[in-house]
Amino acid sequence: MSVITIDHLARVEGHGGITVELQGDVVTDVRFDIFEGSRLLEPIVKGKHYDKIAPSLSRICSICSAAHTLTSLKATENAFGIRVSPQTELLRELLMRGESIESHALHVFMLAAPDYLNYPSAIAMAADKPAAVLLALRMKKLGNLIQETIGGRAVHPVNAVVGGFGKAPSLDQLIELRSGLLQAQTDSDVVIDFMASLPAADFCRADTTYAALRSPNLDSYYNGDEVMVFAKGSRAIVQADDYRSLTNEKAVPHSHAKHSTFRGSPFMVGSLARLTVNPRRLTGKLAVAMKRLKLVLPADNPMDNNKAQALELVNDVERSLEIIEQLLRDGIKDERSMPVHPRAGSGTAITEAPRGLLIHSYVYDDRGCIVSADVITPTALNAASIEQHMRRAVEQCEDRDEAVISRRLQMIARAYDPCISCSVHLVRKR
Amino acid sequence: MKPTLLIGLGNVLMGDDGVGCRLADLLAADPRLPPDVEALAGGSDLLRHASDVEGRRRVVLIDAVESADAAPGTVTVLKDGLEERQAGAHCLSVPQAMKILELVCPVSFTLLGISVAYVNIGQGLSPALEENLPSILTRVLEEVRWISSS
Repeated sequence: MSVITIDHLARVEGHGGITVELQGDVVTDVRFDIFEGSRLLEPIVKGKHYDKIAPSLSRICSICSAAHTLTSLKATENAFGIRVSPQTELLRELLMRGESIESHALHVFMLAAPDYLNYPSAIAMAADKPAAVLLALRMKKLGNLIQETIGGRAVHPVNAVVGGFGKAPSLDQLIELRSGLLQAQTDSDVVIDFMASLPAADFCRADTTYAALRSPNLDSYYNGDEVMVFAKGSRAIVQADDYRSLTNEKAVPHSHAKHSTFRGSPFMVGSLARLTVNPRRLTGKLAVAMKRLKLVLPADNPMDNNKAQALELVNDVERSLEIIEQLLRDGIKDERSMPVHPRAGSGTAITEAPRGLLIHSYVYDDRGCIVSADVITPTALNAASIEQHMRRAVEQCEDRDEAVISRRLQMIARAYDPCISCSVHLVRKR
Repeated sequence: MKPTLLIGLGNVLMGDDGVGCRLADLLAADPRLPPDVEALAGGSDLLRHASDVEGRRRVVLIDAVESADAAPGTVTVLKDGLEERQAGAHCLSVPQAMKILELVCPVSFTLLGISVAYVNIGQGLSPALEENLPSILTRVLEEVRWISSS
């Protein structure tokens, strides 16, 4: 038996590795080893009052702290039967778009692109591709600015609270954001040109099951309470409250992240899944860009998630502009948050974080304190699918050259944009 | 070309780690700051200031340094041997961020390190730094004047 081991997966958040076992030419095992320590935040919030939950659980991750905050608020509001105002929904959507712009810009240009161009890092790539790096950094700043303006600061937003927002952005702030977004809109073609210029990465073909939030207006990261699972043209709907029938989590010996499967199949979440489940957003400019990127949906190549992120980057800018125009048109109001009346019960929320579906589910007592909390992140949902795609890549590799296999597997893992630090979930041994 | 920019770095919630931000705020309001120098408190992520750096020839960074052999408040121009340890995939260290920005912009960085006494959760500077702030400011201003005029 031969073993290929990648001890540390570079250019992803957190600590993970890959192990491949071969018996001659037969692939006997492929493992995505997640050895990051368990984050233990769910038991920490047990007994805590509802207003402490979002600030505590957003600490799971500083890259998607807005998504964790807003998903947490949504779960609490669902538990207490609170319906937030349309303005709050718009501002929350905008906050999530800001986070996505920052995250996708960094991933597409600084973490994924070096793979295609054979650079060991973004720093090594920067001397040859200064315009691409500068564009990524400009977009990162724009994403930060949106989060600071709406959320009160760039990481771990303090302005989003149960029932609404502490303070609405001013007219001047929205106009400033609009100006930054209009500038970014002019960069959209450069984003697509850059992605289209990268060499093809075609070494893993596999039928893939996708899962994404089905939103009422077909283009929302925040709104929506049902997930669509899409596999080979067939669709299934899972309601948020029934999320366990989607996740079916199972502890595996080699990973601190549990594995999820739907009806026995691993599934992929994230940008490619969102575009597959909600293809009607791909019109006009995005349809043209999709053609340029030679992206066909449903895709059978996990590397296409990078193309999907580039498309979403363009769309996030467009959608953010639409939201700001609507807020300016309707007139931004300094509304108070909705009144909160805690009650015993449970609440579940699902949103689309930059890396895919994010689930927060809580049980509260009648004083508004947490009895139990469950948080399932996109990378945890993707873990089984990453392994499945890595296995296909090894099986489809024409030779058994360790360097080639190793490079391809790392590219697949990175195409998922995994946040390993987020994915590690407390595993209880009974 | 835009004027010289001074960016104070650090986390103001971590005691003396926030000294760079505190100095930048003080310098921005200080009439002794040369008119061709702008100052901003930049937080802990230099990369997010890429567009502030773009179009400038010189950028001065002020950051906290833990040093066993320098008294708190000592100002040092840091040049070689800076550790490039990366904090995370999405967060570059200051030396790494300087390197990447120097590759994509025609900019020259000067990194001023302020030796600190206490880095831990908490707002405000340690007494050792607080008491020395006037002399630290004077020393930083000397460096900034020299850099902006050279």
